[in-house]
Amino acid sequence: MEGNGIQVAKLEEKKLKQYEDEVSHLALDIGGSLIKVVYFSSSSCCSSDDEQHGFLKDGIDASSGNLNYRVLTGRLHFLKFETSKISECIKFLSSKRLQHYGHQDGEAPASEKRIVKATGGGAFKFADLFKEKLGIVLDKVDEMRSLVAGANFLLKAVQHEAFTYMDGQKEYVQIDHRDLYPYLLVNIGSGVSMIKVDGDNEFQRISGTSVGGGTFGGLGKLLTKCKSFDELLELSRQGNNRVIDMLVGDIYGGMDYSKIGLSSTAIASSFGKAISENKELEDYRAEDIARSLLRMISNNIGQIAYLNALRFGLKRIFFGGFFIRGHAYTMDTISVAVNFWSKGEAKALFLHHEGFLGALGAFLSYEKNAFTDFTHQFMEQHSSKSESSCSTGNGFESLTCDDVKDSGFIECRVQVRN
Amino acid sequence: MDSQHWQSEGPNTGNTVIKATGGGAHKYADLFKERLGISIEKEDEMDCLVAGANFLLKAIRHEAFTHMEGQKGFVQIDQNDLFPYLLVNIGSGVSIIKVDGDGQFERVSGTNVGGGTYWGLGRLLTKCKSFDELLELSQRGDNRTIDMLVGDIYGGMDYSKIGLSASTIASSFGKAISENKELEDYRPEDISLSLLRMISYNIGQISYLNALRFGLKRIFFGGFFIRGHAYTMDTISFAVQFWSKGQAQAMFLRHEGFLGALGAFMSYEKHGLDDLMVHQLVERFPMGAPYIGGNVRGPPLGDLNEKISWMEKFVMKGTEITAPVPMSPPGTTGLGGFEVPSSKGDALRPDASNLNVGVLHLVPSLEVFPLLADPKTYEPNTIDLSDHGELEYWFTVLSEHMPGLVDRAVASEGGTDDAKRRGDAFARAFSAHLTRLMEEPAAYGKLGLANLLELREECLREFHFLDAYRSIKQRENEASLAVLPDLLLELDSMDEETRLLTLIEGVLAANIFDWGSRACVDLYHKGTIIEIYRMSRNKMQRPWRVDDFDIFKERMLGSAEKKPHSYKRALLFVDNSGADIVLGMLPLARELLRRGTEVVLVANSLPALNDVTALELPDIVAEAAKHCDILRGAAEAGCLLVDAMINIQDSPRESSLSVPLMVVENGCGSPCIDLRQVSSELAAAAKDADLIILEGMGRALHTNFNAKFKCDALKLAMVKNQRLAAKLINGNLYDCVCRFEAAN
Repeated sequence: MEGNGIQVAKLEEKKLKQYEDEVSHLALDIGGSLIKVVYFSSSSCCSSDDEQHGFLKDGIDASSGNLNYRVLTGRLHFLKFETSKISECIKFLSSKRLQHYGHQDGEAPASEKRIVKATGGGAFKFADLFKEKLGIVLDKVDEMRSLVAGANFLLKAVQHEAFTYMDGQKEYVQIDHRDLYPYLLVNIGSGVSMIKVDGDNEFQRISGTSVGGGTFGGLGKLLTKCKSFDELLELSRQGNNRVIDMLVGDIYGGMDYSKIGLSSTAIASSFGKAISENKELEDYRAEDIARSLLRMISNNIGQIAYLNALRFGLKRIFFGGFFIRGHAYTMDTISVAVNFWSKGEAKALFLHHEGFLGALGAFLSYEKNAFTDFTHQFMEQHSSKSESSCSTGNGFESLTCDDVKDSGFIECRVQVRN
Repeated sequence: MDSQHWQSEGPNTGNTVIKATGGGAHKYADLFKERLGISIEKEDEMDCLVAGANFLLKAIRHEAFTHMEGQKGFVQIDQNDLFPYLLVNIGSGVSIIKVDGDGQFERVSGTNVGGGTYWGLGRLLTKCKSFDELLELSQRGDNRTIDMLVGDIYGGMDYSKIGLSASTIASSFGKAISENKELEDYRPEDISLSLLRMISYNIGQISYLNALRFGLKRIFFGGFFIRGHAYTMDTISFAVQFWSKGQAQAMFLRHEGFLGALGAFMSYEKHGLDDLMVHQLVERFPMGAPYIGGNVRGPPLGDLNEKISWMEKFVMKGTEITAPVPMSPPGTTGLGGFEVPSSKGDALRPDASNLNVGVLHLVPSLEVFPLLADPKTYEPNTIDLSDHGELEYWFTVLSEHMPGLVDRAVASEGGTDDAKRRGDAFARAFSAHLTRLMEEPAAYGKLGLANLLELREECLREFHFLDAYRSIKQRENEASLAVLPDLLLELDSMDEETRLLTLIEGVLAANIFDWGSRACVDLYHKGTIIEIYRMSRNKMQRPWRVDDFDIFKERMLGSAEKKPHSYKRALLFVDNSGADIVLGMLPLARELLRRGTEVVLVANSLPALNDVTALELPDIVAEAAKHCDILRGAAEAGCLLVDAMINIQDSPRESSLSVPLMVVENGCGSPCIDLRQVSSELAAAAKDADLIILEGMGRALHTNFNAKFKCDALKLAMVKNQRLAAKLINGNLYDCVCRFEAAN
């Protein structure tokens, strides 16, 4: 990027006009359970120069050979679909007039490929489907690379991206850009990947676990008949895990096993009480089951992440991925696990845009491939309310939390090289 | 627990104390007090786990093993290189303990996803009624229907860049989330397998990460979750191998599941029984052992009748046993008679898995035979029974022998009704063991023929058949002793070279008298001892199948180039009673004595088939000495004739001139001998020995055929088993082995 002589521009505080619903760059992260979409839509009237058209048209001017830069203001949108309902995603994409995207001008031959960056296993699995339905060729970006690029970008470019969460208290952590590496990135999707990140493009997947979001969703669905991930999370809020988990106190007659630092409320065995009691599945409250399950999985991920951080002497562990979704209890449990196993030495950090690391990384990969002359830099984040519920129209839920989770956008300015 | 207390009348003066560990020791202390009048003395759980594991790993051979793809591999742990290690105990939850030494340990980690999670979640998901049922289900499961695999996400492709194959589980239960299926639509088998893999992999991973953290080479997994369940062990092994990229291996303990209870038991020894720990424990296989229930052992059955009727109950398939544990009165089993019991989980099912655990006999004085060239690599068994065909063969042989053996055993006890009942019980018990071993040859540790044969003897003793061949042995000894003087005269008339050859021929010929051999038993019905002996000796056609006689002869008598070697002391490992000892080995011993070599006759401590025992030998020697000055002088010098020889007091005493003839017991009660476990008496006698003669199939072929010694060794046997002949020496029935190996 430096080689391109990009300069940092500043987002001016001004009233943003209505966006034209024009999707410019778009990237996909097609995971085992969810499809994450990141796209940029520019506001045609907000660029800082005199151009009145979208940047795609402006791009034509690049043929002059002069490097000049324009700053476009727009929104970086984040949204998700369930992988099992991929048709919704396709419907949405076609509604966004993506056909226009990827052309240097409107007169390109019809045979010209329309290329979209995509990552995740589904980028392979569904390549044909996208080609057939949308005429889009998925340009596959390595999943780990995308995750890392997305996380690095967010941690550097977006203020208040990282935070800790303990006992319901959210605390933002300012990350010094020069002291970011190395860190451990734990991406909790269907499964969990643990990646040691040493630099912009230096990383290694050092570990992972199959006990992740998919396990929570899958086991949860089998045990509670919940229809959705969100419903399950919601249930867990009202649950009490003591009904099902065997606690240290249950074994020790209410006493702590203080010699080894286990309090009586520590979980000795997840679902361990389901053994001895004469109860069937129906006799347990779905809320309690969801809660036990969430604690089991969060705790386990926190522990394995900490052990891996320890192994490589990493100070910071960032947790991202859709399992977390800003869900307080999940974050709390992971934080407690890291805190417990590290005896307070390590802290779990979370990312605001945790679910979109891969998609964002794929999105960012455009600049490297010189697919267009488009380069961008996100200056500052503006409102990120999730009121834009992505309008797929058929039951796609938007979350009630304030933070960006399932969908939303960052208002930003991108600088475009002509 | 201390069984002594159980015998006290009624419950109870209130001062019965048992050791207990685990959370329940705290929780149920009052209940025990109230119902049984027993005070629970709480031992710290971790202390007990570690004490139990240290004990097992140090004291029991083949305690540790690896388990990959259904294959057990036994690992011999060097006692001096045991620490530090990681101990992962998988109970309801999982404790991960770093062990640095006896009593030195730290719980470094753990996880709440353990056996309780498997069973708890499994119960909710499958409605299984028991843990074992759930495990059983998993063996028929296919986790691909529920788990999301890397291939599912990548459209059947690997994610090879990060080393994940298409079949790697990306997300446990991940498929359940998106499919339009309810719980009922999934097979319980598949659910159980997914769950088992999820939990096993997770435990394996967390354990490995902890081992890595402390740089520990060894990870031992124990606890009831494993329960010898092959699939559980396989998945944990796989996880450890996967995450360590093959650098680390998961190891398991045969007596897993009892670490805590064993440790609690060991804590008695803190209070005055410390020195017992220096001795070696030998695992034996009495019938009672497998049925010990729970962590608390019931009272011993004083009356054998109870034991037999209990046995009968036991063998009825499907019977839940909650009966007290049968235990022989002290002194009747094993050598030391001191039993350190191990115990078995609370659900007693009369199936194979119950036969996992033998009773540990504390044998106060077993040592490694000091003349082994390399005790570390020594393997007693010549035939590896992990080869299923081989096992099947021996299974058949032992089964065929059984009716005859039972008859003989019953007859040895006077043929009473009681003896008959015991005989039946023995047959069933031994059959049960054999069946168990056929299913899982490694059930009692690495299985060799020696173990199998010892198992039979142990089983006989278990049912109080102390010496089934007593009368036969006596009869044959007498018959042989009667013809010994003639034989000695014949020998003395020969020149040195002929005599030596005739002696060796005699040993080989006399070795035909073996009740362990079917072919030989048939012979018995056809002729008298001396006839068979002479016929047999006359048929000795040299060269024998393995024939190092000329080397031995040169060593003994010298040649043109070499001076004869004069041995200082020879250890003669003798085999059968009757002609074998009297007409074979004694004359050979006499020849050695004549040449100035001290002779130590090494015989069994306990009866096994018609093998001569160390207790019987002095009488035989005394009887033989009546007709032979050489033997008499040597026996006197060896203090064998203290009582027996009063009648020859007035004969000229040559004891001061004679080298001694001695008898020592070998420390075992089996037709074979494992030289890692010999009596301290034998170990002491071996000190000055420079010649070892192993005689008979059991000691020279089945075991020790390949053993290497620090001194010269002669292995003599007639092969009375066609299969063994073909396998070992590519020969036939009645072929002979005379193998001489000079000192290493």
